[in-house]
Amino acid sequence: MNPETQTRLEKIKAHPIDGIALKKLVEASLTWLRANQQTVNSLNVFPVPDGDTGTNMVLTMQSAYNEIDSLGHRAIGQMAAAVSQGALMGARGNSGVILSQLWRGFARALHNCETMDGQALAKAFAEARDTAYKGVVRPVEGTILTVAKDVAAAAEAALSETDDPFEILARVIPAAAESVKRTPDLLPVLKQAGVVDSGGKGLFFILEGMHRYIHGEPLDTPTATVQPLAAMNLENTMESIEPGQDYEVVVDFIPQGKFDLQKFYGDLEKIGTSIQVGEGEGMYRMHIHVTMEKRYEPIDYVMGLGTITKIAMENLLAQMESQSKSTATDKIELAKIEPGQIAVVAVSPGRGISRVFASLGVAAIVEGGQTMNPSTKDILEAFEDLPTDKVIILPNNKNIILAAQQAKEVTVKDVFIVPTRTIPQGLAAMMHLNPDGDVETIAAKMSKSANEVTTIEITTATRTVEIDGVSVEHGQVIALVNGKLAVSSTSVEEACLAALEKAETANYELVTLFYGEDLPVQEANRIVDLVRAAYPSQEIELQEGRQPHYQFIISIE
Amino acid sequence: MMKIRLVTDSTSDIPVEIALQHGIEVVPALVNMRGRSYADGVDITREEFYDEIPALNPPPTTSSPSVGSFQERYEKLLSNGAEHVVSIHAANQLSGIYNAARLAAQEFGEYVNVLDSEQLSLGLGFQVLMAAEAAARGALLNEVTALVDSVRQRVRVAALLHSIEYVRRSGRVSWARAVIGSLLNLQPLIELRHGAVIRLGQVRTRVQGILRLTETLNSWGPLERLAVLHTNAESTARQLVEEVKGKVNIPPLVVNVTTAIGTHVGPNALGFAAVPIDR
Repeated sequence: MNPETQTRLEKIKAHPIDGIALKKLVEASLTWLRANQQTVNSLNVFPVPDGDTGTNMVLTMQSAYNEIDSLGHRAIGQMAAAVSQGALMGARGNSGVILSQLWRGFARALHNCETMDGQALAKAFAEARDTAYKGVVRPVEGTILTVAKDVAAAAEAALSETDDPFEILARVIPAAAESVKRTPDLLPVLKQAGVVDSGGKGLFFILEGMHRYIHGEPLDTPTATVQPLAAMNLENTMESIEPGQDYEVVVDFIPQGKFDLQKFYGDLEKIGTSIQVGEGEGMYRMHIHVTMEKRYEPIDYVMGLGTITKIAMENLLAQMESQSKSTATDKIELAKIEPGQIAVVAVSPGRGISRVFASLGVAAIVEGGQTMNPSTKDILEAFEDLPTDKVIILPNNKNIILAAQQAKEVTVKDVFIVPTRTIPQGLAAMMHLNPDGDVETIAAKMSKSANEVTTIEITTATRTVEIDGVSVEHGQVIALVNGKLAVSSTSVEEACLAALEKAETANYELVTLFYGEDLPVQEANRIVDLVRAAYPSQEIELQEGRQPHYQFIISIE
Repeated sequence: MMKIRLVTDSTSDIPVEIALQHGIEVVPALVNMRGRSYADGVDITREEFYDEIPALNPPPTTSSPSVGSFQERYEKLLSNGAEHVVSIHAANQLSGIYNAARLAAQEFGEYVNVLDSEQLSLGLGFQVLMAAEAAARGALLNEVTALVDSVRQRVRVAALLHSIEYVRRSGRVSWARAVIGSLLNLQPLIELRHGAVIRLGQVRTRVQGILRLTETLNSWGPLERLAVLHTNAESTARQLVEEVKGKVNIPPLVVNVTTAIGTHVGPNALGFAAVPIDR
């Protein structure tokens, strides 16, 4: 401890903690919590949270402080009562309400007290805990409540060795920190999200703010944070590249000697942006975005701090481009089916369409379509291993319905065939899926829904022919509306527009176009723009279908 | 002077003139956007809010009113002749409002009863309204709370959302988080039962959605109360009213749903809240 802090501490300790001192401590708590507000906010479990905990706690503390700002009570009991009243009036969100209850209990314990000694502080922490637990309908461990409980226990334990309130506070801080660290072990949702409890962390900052004030430490610069290595989410930083920050550098290292995190952050901020630091078992991971010219600087800098164990450098822009190209080839995530649920098997002619089916809850995909009809065995194998007996098959092509029916006959499973003849019919059927519903009812609803949608298929004629009064020459673009030849044309765009008109699209709401593997995306976009211009009051969606042979499969609803 | 008075919060969607007429005290929830807090239905109109919400970044969030704001209302009513306050609020499972009211009521002992409606919007509003009507007729406290129990058991709320996005990012509905991967734009059909948001299904078009929503309403049997709910979809809501108004003797309410709920469901949603007849 430097002499300056020593003198300050002695000066503060020379006076008993009265109302005025409490006011200063509350102010310090508020300032420190506000400085760390974003850190607390970032601990929310959900990616786009509702009701930021940090903000709610700051607003609650602010309301508490506003209440005492103009007060000069000497008696701590009176001052604490005012803090409690202010917190109560301004409590925001669940964490704010619990915080107000903590203050309420704290104040109750100090009722009629002039000053606060160690014994009174421990009693106040205990009363705060009890009141907060009563303040929620169903107390949950692994939250701010647990931290309040551990704080009270630490104060109680310290009492056997000291009656100095400053010393007790000093011992409570590490206990609070430990307690916050343990919250993910008590609350699984925190563990899943890789965070500690935000309300508990907020309470920690409130207590730490008091401690820092007493020790004369600054209250306005937030603590640099180190995350557990497992919680570092480097993938998502990809989405936000600041202009000019083309390179991502990640360095793993083991620091030698004393590691000053605050200074580390400060130095890195001079080099680049998007700084994250993680730690696990003594190993640190540093992540930063830098310009091309500075791409070696973070490495040189870290080398001066310890032993580098691993370096990774990526050109972010190049990576972003290749990533957007490769989305179509990455894995398709099928719905996981629990025993007893309904599993839907869909036949799909292209990866893009398969992805759409998967996103709607299909449990298995059979590849196939117009020119590549899957066998009975292919269909059977798709659902035989699923952990349920309730199966619905969507053949999505008239030539596949029979094979599906045969699969039904050779299995012991309870299989329903919904005779969808086109991809749009299959997608319309998926709107009625409820995995926990009655399989027969749902299959019936799905069958009915096939009439809710019109299908257009655009392809190239393989021979010269005249059908349904439409004459077609080999190589021309043709359009089928609900399986019937409706249009022949020299270009894809003309065929699309003519077929949309035949299908009376103007009377419908939504047009979804799945473009095939032979149609470049730029061309698909160009044609969709023409469709948008022709149907300004309809919603138009373009999806990657990747089906062969068909330039477009179009759904009109 | 009524001896039993009703308090609720703004998520009840009781139209202002009806609340005034029945002496119902409405405590506003808070909506946080553009860096400040707005008292729901007081500081910002619903029309303004729904026009703006798609463009707001960060998106708005909601907060419960403070414990103190409930205390003030209870204090006011009890010192102005009310013998008892019944305070009915948004589903405890979905919001901190009920808990804030419950904490406020601790100061007033047996003079204030706080009840969890397990509902939102007129699903809550009808419980409050029917309780206020009973109180005006001179019903006793136990009769009023028994009526609220009965309405809570019967009341149904279903809605067609225009997009899954808002309910997903609200983080309060587990299935909504699971369907992030959906590539097509889906309009979910939901029902609110005992504080849980249940997915009835989804549709791709408005026409299909309204059909399914009306089927849902028809499955509820004969009704004594009905409200058509919407989030800035007034004209469609009016058309819906024409379709369904024959189902009830009391004309249906048409309500542009409050911003505190709208934050979580987004604009262009449609729904029904109804109280089936007690049989």
